[in-house]
Amino acid sequence: MLRRPAVIVLLCVSVIPTSAGVLAALWSGLDAAALTRVLATPGVGLSIASSIWSGVIATGVSLLLAHLAVALAASGGWRARLNGFALPLLAMPHLAMGIGLALLLAPSGVLLRAVSPWATGFDLPPDWLIVQDPAALSLILGLVLKETCFLIMALMAALAQVPSAKLQLQARALGYGPLKAWLAVTAPLLQRQIRLPLAAVLVFGIGNVELAIPLGPGLPPTFSVMLWRWFTDPDPLINAQAYAGTVLLLLATMAALAFIAAASTLLTRLLRRAAESGKRRSHDGYARGVAQSVLLVGWLTGMLAIAAILLRSAAGPWRFPALLPGGDWLSRWLDVLPVAGNVVATTVGLAAATAICGLLLVLPAAEQCRRDRRTRAIVGAWLFVPLLVPQMTFLFGIQVLLVRLHVDGTHLAVLWSHLIFSLPYLWGLLAPARATIDPRYQSVAATLGATPLRTWFTVTAPLLARATLLAFALAFSVSVALYLPTLFAGAGRFATAATEAAASAGSGNLRLAAVHGLLLAVLPLSVFALAYTTNSLLFRNRRGVPR
Amino acid sequence: MNALRLDGVTLDIDGKALFAPLSFTVKPGNVTSVVGPSGSGKSSLLAYLCGILPAEIEGHGAVYAGDNELTHLATERRALGLLFQDSLLFPHLSVGGNLMFGLAARQSRAARLQRVNEALASVALDGFADRDPATLSGGQKSRVALLRVLLAEPRALLLDEPFSALDDDSRVHVRSLVFAEAQRLGLPTLLVTHDMEDVAAAGGDVIELRHPQDRHGL
Repeated sequence: MLRRPAVIVLLCVSVIPTSAGVLAALWSGLDAAALTRVLATPGVGLSIASSIWSGVIATGVSLLLAHLAVALAASGGWRARLNGFALPLLAMPHLAMGIGLALLLAPSGVLLRAVSPWATGFDLPPDWLIVQDPAALSLILGLVLKETCFLIMALMAALAQVPSAKLQLQARALGYGPLKAWLAVTAPLLQRQIRLPLAAVLVFGIGNVELAIPLGPGLPPTFSVMLWRWFTDPDPLINAQAYAGTVLLLLATMAALAFIAAASTLLTRLLRRAAESGKRRSHDGYARGVAQSVLLVGWLTGMLAIAAILLRSAAGPWRFPALLPGGDWLSRWLDVLPVAGNVVATTVGLAAATAICGLLLVLPAAEQCRRDRRTRAIVGAWLFVPLLVPQMTFLFGIQVLLVRLHVDGTHLAVLWSHLIFSLPYLWGLLAPARATIDPRYQSVAATLGATPLRTWFTVTAPLLARATLLAFALAFSVSVALYLPTLFAGAGRFATAATEAAASAGSGNLRLAAVHGLLLAVLPLSVFALAYTTNSLLFRNRRGVPR
Repeated sequence: MNALRLDGVTLDIDGKALFAPLSFTVKPGNVTSVVGPSGSGKSSLLAYLCGILPAEIEGHGAVYAGDNELTHLATERRALGLLFQDSLLFPHLSVGGNLMFGLAARQSRAARLQRVNEALASVALDGFADRDPATLSGGQKSRVALLRVLLAEPRALLLDEPFSALDDDSRVHVRSLVFAEAQRLGLPTLLVTHDMEDVAAAGGDVIELRHPQDRHGL
């Protein structure tokens, strides 16, 4: 480890602020008086319960759907297309998804407009509590749509390590139906490899505000939203409650993690029992049909949410049963351009800086770990830690530290906070990509007289170019989506698409939320589209270059 | 051209020697074969000569090209041409690009291009400069890999079973081409192989790698 300076630098960038943040959060959160006030707040128990409930249920459902999607795609011969389906929903930030679903499902939303008044007879939006329902069902739906895609990506990455085609063939040859064959043989092998992403899904589900602000229950809100309001309150006594509450959030998250770990052990045992039952389930057409329909409906809902944002952002006053907003769309979009221009510049600048700094940190470290699988796994696990702690907990702590050091609200502080969240994804993509390049290419280049530096630029870098472009798009999208880090490290001074969307969603201004939600959705999607297009143009006549 | 000389070369894994110290000389234009069972350290011997030994193996002993000691030089300054079993053409460069990579930078681009085209023509691959290496047959790839090594003007050739992945016809063809070029250019050549036909075709000295304990065992 000590002979790999780039790895040490990379780890320091992530681990030092994360651990310092958690410690500082605990330090300022262990305040008996504030804790007493938190526990005496009306509805706090229900609020914590609804956070845990929505997080746990969404995680379980997402895991199930992700496994089903991969099983159906792999056994149905459209495995290569699955990533393409998941990508738009994956690239869309949580906040945009939340705003879009709210606009789609609300009583005055696009869905009811589409069937009113001809099917429902409604001339006015009905008095239903669909979004922000007390059982948090719409919040769970939002989480499931996003996290299923995230887990599909994690499963697909794990699939590269498993000889799934041979295993599937073997099980099919023994008479098993495609679905059962996959779930009994390959799924357990994949499950073992996605423990960290699964934990991250749960932690995010419990601690998020991005979906809970537009979709979560109102009275009381989820605990993270409660803390968020306390934190943004001008009264320092109430701020102290936020710090104390974040310790509770950490404890609740840890309890839920233990629960999920136990549940997943039980699930593995059930799957093994099912595998040993000898039941072939060779006629699984019906089950596959049901699973496929559920996935399709979910996917369509997500895509419609994007469409709903598009419609609402273009609408001024929009009378209820009309499906399309009337009037001059273009001029309304042009109206918001001057405001949006600055927001776009800040958002894109920050995201591009994050992606470039992240690549500069990760590429040398990946180079130094290319022959050492164990170190790659250890580095990956350490970089993942920020995704396993509730964002609020360590961001509160980091904010306390930044204020002490008088660097809160600086560009460096915001950039750093974004880096912390991008590095695990950059590492997850680039470290294996670097490791799979045949080391003998370098030997060949060296024996032909090329220096190590020339070899890196003329051989290694071109072979890594495609993965690097995708990694850039990924880090860019992560940065665009980040709300809490921008808010806390930026001391509220940075107006990005995420902060503006959250602020307008929080204050109930849906039109403005839709405008910023549109930016949130469009920026990552266009960067991914650009990366994929460039990748297909790059080395288009060179079949041997890794995809 | 100068001879390739090894003086007391050994390889250790965890302090245990893979074979007894090797000292021998390969004269210019001669092909010396190194044979031995898998795991005997044949390929690692070539890696040591080139300075690309993996970290878990430790090498000792001196390597000379003529009077120049290469042992402590960086790989890129040793000028030893290494051919692997896979041709390992860089997948992102065209066939011509691969050859340009090997060719020294002394001349103008036009002159370099011309040399590359002449080289391709000399192995019956006229007009292949713009091809994607992934579209070539095994024998064609081997010939390009050989040209790439030769254009880098090596002091010696090191062959790591470069014919074993080829089908029978192209094996004979590529093998005689490699040996003929080595002789024409007066390159001392070290061939690692487990194929006795290769050894017979090489016609030079044969060195058998054995585990040091074997001699005491019998």
